[in-house]
Amino acid sequence: MAIIDNVRKISDTIWELPTTFKAGMRVPARVIATEKLVREMDEAVYQQISNVAALPGVTRYALCMPDGHSGYGFPIGGVAAMDIHEGGVISPGGIGFDINCGMRLVITNLTLDEVQPSLKEIVDLLFQRVPAGVGSHGFLKLSRQEFRDVVEQGARWCVEHDFGWEEDLEVTEENGYIAGADAAKISERAIDRGYNQIGTLGSGNHYLEIQVVRSGDVRDKELAARFGITIPNQVVVMFHCGSRGFGHQVATDYLQIFLKVMESKYGIKILDRELACAPFESSEGHDYFAAMKCGLNMSFANRQVILHRIREVFSEIFGRSAEDLGMQMIYDVAHNTAKLEKHTIDGKEKTLLVHRKGATRAFGPGHEEVAARYRDIGQPVIIGGSMETGSYLLTGAPGGAATFFSTAHGSGRTMSRTKARKQWHGKQLQRDLEARGIYVRSTSWAGLAEEAGAAYKDIDEVIEATERAGISKPIVRFTPIGNVKG
Amino acid sequence: MEPRTPINLVTGPLGSGKTTLLRHILAIRPGKIAIVMNEFGEIAIDAKVLEGKNVRIAELGGGCVCCSLLGEFEAAVTEIIQRVEPDIIIVETTGLAEPEALVFNIQEAAPQCRLDSVVSVIDADMLVCFPELGHTTRLQIEGADILLLNKIDLIEPRQVEPLEAKLRESNPTAPIVRTERCRIDPELLFGIGGEKKGASPQHKHQPEFDSFTFTSKKELSRDCFKAFADHLPSSVYRAKGFVRFEGSTQLFNFVGGRWDLEPFESAETQLVFIGKEIAPEKSSIIAALKDCEL
Repeated sequence: MAIIDNVRKISDTIWELPTTFKAGMRVPARVIATEKLVREMDEAVYQQISNVAALPGVTRYALCMPDGHSGYGFPIGGVAAMDIHEGGVISPGGIGFDINCGMRLVITNLTLDEVQPSLKEIVDLLFQRVPAGVGSHGFLKLSRQEFRDVVEQGARWCVEHDFGWEEDLEVTEENGYIAGADAAKISERAIDRGYNQIGTLGSGNHYLEIQVVRSGDVRDKELAARFGITIPNQVVVMFHCGSRGFGHQVATDYLQIFLKVMESKYGIKILDRELACAPFESSEGHDYFAAMKCGLNMSFANRQVILHRIREVFSEIFGRSAEDLGMQMIYDVAHNTAKLEKHTIDGKEKTLLVHRKGATRAFGPGHEEVAARYRDIGQPVIIGGSMETGSYLLTGAPGGAATFFSTAHGSGRTMSRTKARKQWHGKQLQRDLEARGIYVRSTSWAGLAEEAGAAYKDIDEVIEATERAGISKPIVRFTPIGNVKG
Repeated sequence: MEPRTPINLVTGPLGSGKTTLLRHILAIRPGKIAIVMNEFGEIAIDAKVLEGKNVRIAELGGGCVCCSLLGEFEAAVTEIIQRVEPDIIIVETTGLAEPEALVFNIQEAAPQCRLDSVVSVIDADMLVCFPELGHTTRLQIEGADILLLNKIDLIEPRQVEPLEAKLRESNPTAPIVRTERCRIDPELLFGIGGEKKGASPQHKHQPEFDSFTFTSKKELSRDCFKAFADHLPSSVYRAKGFVRFEGSTQLFNFVGGRWDLEPFESAETQLVFIGKEIAPEKSSIIAALKDCEL
């Protein structure tokens, strides 16, 4: 019997694997998706999410978002909330190695007509100022001690050192500074791999994109105006990057520690070794949480410095200050995290460690953790599509309670990187994109081919799934015109 | 013509024995080896470290080095070849890495190198404890040319065959070599062509493996030889040597069903075949090669 035959339809957008699907499952596993996306989903996703449903402390459901695809341990798109008072665990495979890989969106008051003549110049200069590629180094020369300060203080450190505006912090999750990050819990090797990478995009699916709001792509005019999106063909900049080699090393270090203690010390049995974990309330769990927070801060700092560089580039090319160009930051969302949050379960408030791997937190209107500026409308959510297809700005919705206030993070791969590389040639793809009005610069042709639009799920279908499920509400769709590919 | 530098990729889940394999190779393999790894300190403790542009290089003695990447993979490999002139490059991936992208990089973006083999180290004890293969582990098994079923001493003998069957489900073509502490015959691991200063000395093979050679002073038909290589039996784990075709001599490297040829200078055809219980295949293999002689 195919796995899909075990999946029960709960509603048009909720699909469930019951606990009888696999021995050891503590809660059902649910996939949030349209029927089309459910049918297209990789079989390994169902295996992975049902293994997550067997982790100690998992509460209500192990969830997978509509853009889900298989990853290390958890699927990418996996969400699981662990009750820390019921032996709930913390698992690096549920957070991802690129800790706090995330999206940031900044608007301008420029229109497509004003940007088009300088588009190549802008993209080329961004390509130069925001280094991309596997081992790229940033312009920021930090000592190891300064780097320790950065990972403990996050984007706040950057703003204090003139890389950005005070109000940028107000629109970053947790003000860009996660309390409790402890640099004493990270290895020297992690510092080695990170201290010269602040201000760099990295490789893979990381990118920096110039986008335009085309007429007809504003879904909610009033809310769009709240985000400063009011001009026809307005130009915005969106980028996606994370904690680079640093986060990867932190995850590797703690996976090794957890593999040693998980069973022998804590008696935890898991179905897939890639889900190595430790009780949150243990010395190893607390140490990883403090180290992981360093990854969160490193990533916020990385995006803060990149934002600063973007403002410099626009300012240089248009001969006007970034303030004058209206380069307001809209929001910064984190994809790969675990956060302690209060959620109401069966009428009782519980403290849960919510793992979101390739998933975006999406609190609805009125939630106290939403930035004051947006509290009445809900948390902004930025979902990036492939470089060919477009991206979205959304807000969290009240229905998010069903997913611990989580939604999709991107369009999600349908094809392996290697398969994409075999199917397309990067240089040809660049020419094709240019013919369609999208100018792309990349450090690697093969890497560019990996990101071909057809290697991803349909972004519009993913967004529709989140809207119909009531977990997020689309406000504006953006179309790419220029892309720096990591 | 100088042959391309062979790159061997070592992959496998965390804790399966990748570093142990590297230590084993360094201990027994003569020749200059450059190891590229993430966990620099594991092998190069107290070594003298040279800072390069794209790599950090630690000397290990006997011309061998351990390198950690600072820049792009391709640039780092070029720098290693220029500075160290290694006979073999071995890349150890992290346990979290999916090898396929790196394989592609070597094949497409590093023309001065030849992907010699992808070796996946799998911990037999881990497979017993966690029967469900993780996503990344499965990709590491699927991508292998040679599978080392390591830590065989930690499991019951009766458990071995079911594990091999499980590995074959994910990868039907790669030979599976059972090892303790990754002790494997380097002749199985490595192809031929990287030795810039003379060939490696003769040594005894692992007792469970057989080998035989074929030599000929005649030229071989290229098409006939290609068909021959495509149809080598799966009991042949490794085959390597030189083949004289009409007009050119080529270096031949075969591992777990995958093979390639590249130009090389040699006066005659010399091939060695290594595998498990291949003695019965010897006569038909030799006969097939004789049929290719012009």
